[in-house]
Amino acid sequence: MSAWLPLAAFVPLVAGALTSALARRRPRLAQGWALAAAAWTLLAATVLTRRLFLEGPFSYAMGGWAAPWGIELRFDAWSAASLFIALIMLAVLVYSGPYARDEIESRRLPWYYSLLLLNLGGMVGFACAGDLFNLFVFMELVSVSSYALVAVGGGRIAALAAFKYLLAGAVSSALVLFCIGVLHALTGSLNMADVALRLAEIDSRGPVVLALAGLSAGFMLKAALFPLHLWLPDAHAAAPCPVSAVLSALVVKIGIIGLLRTHAVFAGVEGLPMAAFGQVLAWLGALAIVAGALFALFQDDIKLMLAYSTVSNIGYIVLGLGLANHAAMTGAGIHVLNHAIIKATLFLAAGAIIHQTGSRTLRELRGVGRMMPWSALAVSIGALSIAGLPPTAGFLGKWYIALGAFAAGQPGFAAVLLLGALLIFAYYIRILNAFYFRAPIDDNMRSVREAPLPMLLPILFLAALCILGGLFGRWPVALVAPAVERLAGGG
Amino acid sequence: MKRLLAAMVLAAAAIPMFAGVAGLPAPGDAGSPAHTGVAARYVEHGVRETGAQNLVTGVLLNYRAYDTFGEVMVIFAALAAVSAVLSRGPAQPGSGAARQQVEISPVVAFVIRLTAPFIAIFGVMIILKGHLAPGGGFQGGVILGALLVLLSVVLGRGLERPLVPEPAARWLQAAGPLAFAVVGLFGLACAGTLLSYPPGPGADMLRAAMMLVLELGIGIGSAAIILWLFLQMRGE
Amino acid sequence: MGAALQNLDYFAFVILFCIGLHTLVARPNLLKKLLGLNIMETAVFAFIVTSGMVDRGAAPIVDGGATGPFASPLPQALILTGIVVAVSISALALALIIEIYRQCGTIEADELKGAG
Repeated sequence: MSAWLPLAAFVPLVAGALTSALARRRPRLAQGWALAAAAWTLLAATVLTRRLFLEGPFSYAMGGWAAPWGIELRFDAWSAASLFIALIMLAVLVYSGPYARDEIESRRLPWYYSLLLLNLGGMVGFACAGDLFNLFVFMELVSVSSYALVAVGGGRIAALAAFKYLLAGAVSSALVLFCIGVLHALTGSLNMADVALRLAEIDSRGPVVLALAGLSAGFMLKAALFPLHLWLPDAHAAAPCPVSAVLSALVVKIGIIGLLRTHAVFAGVEGLPMAAFGQVLAWLGALAIVAGALFALFQDDIKLMLAYSTVSNIGYIVLGLGLANHAAMTGAGIHVLNHAIIKATLFLAAGAIIHQTGSRTLRELRGVGRMMPWSALAVSIGALSIAGLPPTAGFLGKWYIALGAFAAGQPGFAAVLLLGALLIFAYYIRILNAFYFRAPIDDNMRSVREAPLPMLLPILFLAALCILGGLFGRWPVALVAPAVERLAGGG
Repeated sequence: MKRLLAAMVLAAAAIPMFAGVAGLPAPGDAGSPAHTGVAARYVEHGVRETGAQNLVTGVLLNYRAYDTFGEVMVIFAALAAVSAVLSRGPAQPGSGAARQQVEISPVVAFVIRLTAPFIAIFGVMIILKGHLAPGGGFQGGVILGALLVLLSVVLGRGLERPLVPEPAARWLQAAGPLAFAVVGLFGLACAGTLLSYPPGPGADMLRAAMMLVLELGIGIGSAAIILWLFLQMRGE
Repeated sequence: MGAALQNLDYFAFVILFCIGLHTLVARPNLLKKLLGLNIMETAVFAFIVTSGMVDRGAAPIVDGGATGPFASPLPQALILTGIVVAVSISALALALIIEIYRQCGTIEADELKGAG
C-alpha cells in the first residue's frame, strides 16, 4: 500500500518538531528546512490528487487496523484542498524570509517556522481524516499553532487578539469534543462512515439532533460565520502579514470542511430537519455577506478591511452550502479554493506594502501605486478577483452560487449576492483610488522602494493564479463536482 | 444588557444539551453501544493483538497510535506556542536581578532534595509499567516534569543556566515526535503500513520493545516540555 | 421520564459545563475566564469517561485474575488525549495572559477594552 497519504501530514509535523533543534546553531537553517518540508508536502498532495483523479476516493488504514477498529485516513475531493493548502503555505514560507527577519524577534524565529509547519501538517491531516476523534486532534493542532502565530509578532494588540481567538476557539473545540462523545455513546464507534451507518438505525432523536447542532455550531464558530465572527477581525488584522494570509485563506476553511464532514455523517439519518437547517445556514450566510461588506466599507486600516472581507466571503460559501443544490454547492466548493488564493494574494501584497512603507491606513498609503507598482498591481488583481469580475477566479464561485439560488427558487439570495459584490467593489475602488489616483500625504512615500524579490515572487505567482483560476475554471469544477454529486444527492 | 446576553448564551447551550443527553443510553449499562461497538474487539482480543495487558495503553499505542502521535504534536505545539509568545530578545543581564527573589525555606529545599530520587523512580516506573498496570508515557512524563520543575525552583537556576543544558533540551523536547517517527517508519518497513506492528506470535518481544520506545519517547519528551514551559513562563 | 433519571450523571456534567461556560462569558478577569474554560473541558472529559463505565465492572486491565465486564478502554484513551490537548491550550493561554500583563499592566477585560 502506498504510504503517501499518511506521510503527507506525518512529515511536516515531525519536521516542525525538529526545526528548533536543528536551527539552534544556525537560525538561517529554519526557513530552508521549513521550505523543504513544505515542498515535500506539496509533492505528496500532488501525487495524492492525481491518484484521486485517476481512481476516485481512497483510504488508508493507519497501523494496519481496518476501520472502524483503527484510524482510517480518507482522501476524497474535499481532501484535495491539501494541494492548495501546501501551495499557499509554500508561498507564505518563501515570503517570510525577508518579512520575518525584519518583523519577528530573532529568538522567536525558529519557533515561527516550527509553528507554520505544525499548522501545515495539522491542516493536511484534518483534510484527510476519516475518523471523528482524529479530526478533533488535528483541529486542535491547527488551532493551537494559529493562536500562537497571531501573537508571535509581539505587541499588546496581537496578544489581546490572540487571547480572544483562543477563548472562542477553545469553546468551539470543547463543544465539538462533547458532540463526538455523544456520537460515541450512541453508536460505539468513531469512524465517520461507520457512525453514519449506525446512526441511521437509531431510534432516539434527541441526542442525534444535539450532536448535529453542537458540531455545526462548533464548526460555524471556527469558520467565523456571522454572528460568531467577533474573534476574527482583530486576530487576522493583528497577526503578522504572512500569518494573516494563512489564517484567512486556510485556517478559516477548516471550519467549512468540518461542516461538510458533519453533514456527510448525518446525511443518512431520517427525520432530521435538514431542510430547515439548510435554510438557517443560507440566511446566516446572506447576513454575513452584507454585514462583512458593510463593516469593511467603513474601515481605514487595510488589514481590518481584508479581515471583514473574509467574513463576507465565508458568508458566500455558507450560503452555497445552505442552498444545498448541485449548482450552489459546486459554487461553494470552488469559492473555498478560489478565495484561498485571492485572499492570500491580497494579504501578502498588502503586507509587502505595509512592510515597505510602515503604514496600514488608506490615508497614509495614498500614492503608493507609483512607488510599488508590482505590489499594487497584485492588490488590484486581487481586488478585481474578489469582486467577482469575469475573467478572474472569484467570478466562477459566485456565479454558481447565484445559479443555485435561482434553482432553489429563492432569487432573493441572488440579489444579496449582487449587493455584496457591489459593496465589495465599492471598498476596493477606495483602495485602488487611494493607491493610484491620490497624491501622497508626505514626502516619506517618495523614498519607498518595491518589495524584495523573495516577497515579490510569491505575490506575483498567486496573482497570476487568480487570473488563471478564472480562465481555466473547468479544473476546480471538475475537482469539486464528484464530491458535490454525492452530497447534493441527499440534499 | 450583558447579563441578558450571557443568560441567553447559557440557555442556548444548556437546553439542547439537557434534552439531548436525556436520550442517551444509560451509563453503566453493559449492553449499550459504547460497549458493544468497536470497544468489544479491544476488550476481547486486545491482549493477544497488542501484547499490552493495560487495554487503554493498547488502544493508545497500537490501535489508535496516530491519535497519540497527534497528541504528542499538540503538546509540542504548546511548547512552540509559549516560546513564540514569550521569548524575548537577547537577555539583558540586569533583568535576572529585577525578578523578585523569594527565599526558599531550607526545610522545603531539604524535603525536595530528599524525595527527588523517589519521585524520579516512581515516574520512571509509571512509564515503564504502562502496558501492564495503570500508567503510561504521558502520565510518567508529567510526574518527571513536575519533579524537574520543583528541582529548578529549589536549585535556583533560571533560563540562564537551566537544569537541562540548552542543546540537549531542544532534542529532548522533540523526543516524542522522534520516537513516533522512528517506530512509525520501522513499522512501515516491517509490516507495510505506517505505525503498524509486526504481526504474529514470534514478534512479541519486538512489539513490546516498540511500545517501550514509544512510551519512553512520550515520557521524556513530556517531561522536557513541561520543564521548559515552566522556565519560559518564569522567564525574565 | 424514568429513563431520563438514569442519566443523572450526564445531567451533572451538563450543569458543570454550563457553570464553566457562564464563568467564561460573565467574569471579566482573564484568568477566571481560563478557569471557566478548564471547567468546561473537565465536564466534557467526565462525560466521555462515564459513557464507557460499567456498573460493578472492572478496570480495563486484563491480567490473569480479572474477569467480568470491563469498562470500555476507548473513552479512557480519548480523554487522555483530550487532557493533553486541554493542558496545551491552558499553557498557551497562561503565556498570553503573562504577555498581556507585561504589555498592558492589567488582566481585567473591562480595563483592557479601553486600553486595547
